[in-house]
Amino acid sequence: MIARPPRGAALLWLLVGAAAVAFLVVFGLVVKKPYVLHMGIMLFQAILLGQAWNVIGGYTGQYSVGHAAYFGVGAYTTIMLLMTHGIAPWWGVWLGMANAVLLSLVIGSITFRLRGPYFVLASISVAEIIRLAALHFKSFTRGAEGFLLDAVPSLRVLGTEIEFVGKRPFYFMALGLAVASVIANWAVERSKLGYYFQAIREDQDAAHALGINLTAYKNVALAISAAFTALAGGFSAMYVKWVDPNAFSLPEVSIPIVLTVIIGGIGTIAGPVVGAMVLVPLQEILRNPKGLVQVGILSSDSSVVTFLAPFANAHQLFYGILVVLVILFAPDGVLGVIKSSLRKGRRRREARPAAPAAPA
Amino acid sequence: MTVFLQSVISGVLVGGVYALIGIGLTMIFGVMRVINFAHGDLLMLGMYVTWRAFDGLGMDPFLSLVITAPALFLWGAFLQSAVINRVLNALPQNQILLTIGLGLIMSNAVMLKYTSDYRIITTSYSSASYMLGGLSISQPLLYGFLITAAITAVLYWFLLRTDTGQAIRATAQDREAAQLMGIDVRAMSVLAFGIGAALAGTAGALISPTYYIFPQVGGIFTLKAFVIVVLGGMGSVVGATLGGIIIGVTESLSAVYIASGLKELVVFVLFLALLLFKPSGLLGKTRA
Repeated sequence: MIARPPRGAALLWLLVGAAAVAFLVVFGLVVKKPYVLHMGIMLFQAILLGQAWNVIGGYTGQYSVGHAAYFGVGAYTTIMLLMTHGIAPWWGVWLGMANAVLLSLVIGSITFRLRGPYFVLASISVAEIIRLAALHFKSFTRGAEGFLLDAVPSLRVLGTEIEFVGKRPFYFMALGLAVASVIANWAVERSKLGYYFQAIREDQDAAHALGINLTAYKNVALAISAAFTALAGGFSAMYVKWVDPNAFSLPEVSIPIVLTVIIGGIGTIAGPVVGAMVLVPLQEILRNPKGLVQVGILSSDSSVVTFLAPFANAHQLFYGILVVLVILFAPDGVLGVIKSSLRKGRRRREARPAAPAAPA
Repeated sequence: MTVFLQSVISGVLVGGVYALIGIGLTMIFGVMRVINFAHGDLLMLGMYVTWRAFDGLGMDPFLSLVITAPALFLWGAFLQSAVINRVLNALPQNQILLTIGLGLIMSNAVMLKYTSDYRIITTSYSSASYMLGGLSISQPLLYGFLITAAITAVLYWFLLRTDTGQAIRATAQDREAAQLMGIDVRAMSVLAFGIGAALAGTAGALISPTYYIFPQVGGIFTLKAFVIVVLGGMGSVVGATLGGIIIGVTESLSAVYIASGLKELVVFVLFLALLLFKPSGLLGKTRA
């Protein structure tokens, strides 16, 4: 099932990707509206999270519905090191990633020996364990109150001071992280490691017979995934400047991550990007329909705003509807739908000249 | 010693209701091999039906079972035939995501209609208790437990003694063989999901006098239900009954001896330990 695309395709994708990144850089320099920048940041963060999940869920076929655990660990480690020890987030986030990797190895070594739904169940319960612990051990985590940060320390790169004020610096940082995650996933997909992962996904017994150590490679995939997820967590903590036990929440964090990938197309590089482009605008518009007024798309007395207002708290209703529709009608996501309709179109075109002329 | 006995008793009383939740989940899994992540949300719907009956009609929460259970049965049967039935042959991951989606739809629809305010049902006996040799037994928990016991007994009789019950068990044992024997496996699936939903709804009604009612209450019960089912052995009804009681007692003891905020955490840690040492559960066949 692992088909190599033709050589030209890779080059084409590279050009498309480079053009898109160049456009987004210029866009970030030109745009002034905070709502638009915020939308971009959330989009890039969703891409980063989606690509991270894709390594374990998409390529290795092990669905984790508890990635909030790694996200939260990354967020908490980064903000706690900064606020209680004064360690800058540029260093703190590495420790957050290390913590997440350690946690992933614990979860992996318990559950990857088993097949079936156990990994899904264990991943959810680990996130829940940490959430409950974060609520309870107030002296360490400040409980439900969480950590509220005043300002992010500035970063000195090559003699220039970068101040993290406003949304623009975060926009570029998120863009950089998202691009890095796409490149990392591309590299993983084409590496020997990636082929091991995909072999495990396609047929565990066959992979095992070929001498692939199932448990070890599943753990490697989960560790990579956890590290990137923790990176996103650390970034999010610095951007929102606030972390509370909801960072470990199943419906608020874990499910949107899975959803991003499923909607776009699981186990593909473009999948999380497409999924984020569908999910993030939907989520942000539902959460804050007034943003559309700020951008000037709608007037403040528009009936759309009043219609959407009650959904601000119930935006997950749409997640639910989307999941059900995607699983029932397009289990390969948006990309799958596009691909199969292209294939159908091509077959029809090829079939036409070959078909004998019907007798009149 | 009194404290210990006291917490064991209340653990068993709560555990009975947990067993009901677990039995529903394990039946659905047994017959369809589908893991129902919307199970806690079905329980939440049961709570809301009960609350509406209490608030609107002044109906006693235990009496309103006659509305809650059939309503949830129909809803479950509808969900099975309209949605779940289409993914019976899909990847297990997709089935899980689908039921998660259904759960989100249910909890958020309820939130849209009734807001996320906490609701409580206060009856004349809500905080009353019987004294028995120095031990106090909460009245609402005791009534809930007795009703649970009666329902469980009827369910066992249904599954073991009636033709339909045997057909359900046959479908769970081997779907294809059951079909070859002329059992309508589709109908059995609808029935099993309906019964599972009705049991979850019943559990919701039974705990509504002692729990807060809010749209997100289902999540934690879904997770507990899994722990119960894995503990008992997936697909085993007897195992789920046992698992429910064990989890109830574990929670109650850890609330007293560790910290009440950590009782659920202890249950999930126990779950991980179980996966590590005995993943097939207490009564499960070794299939992992």
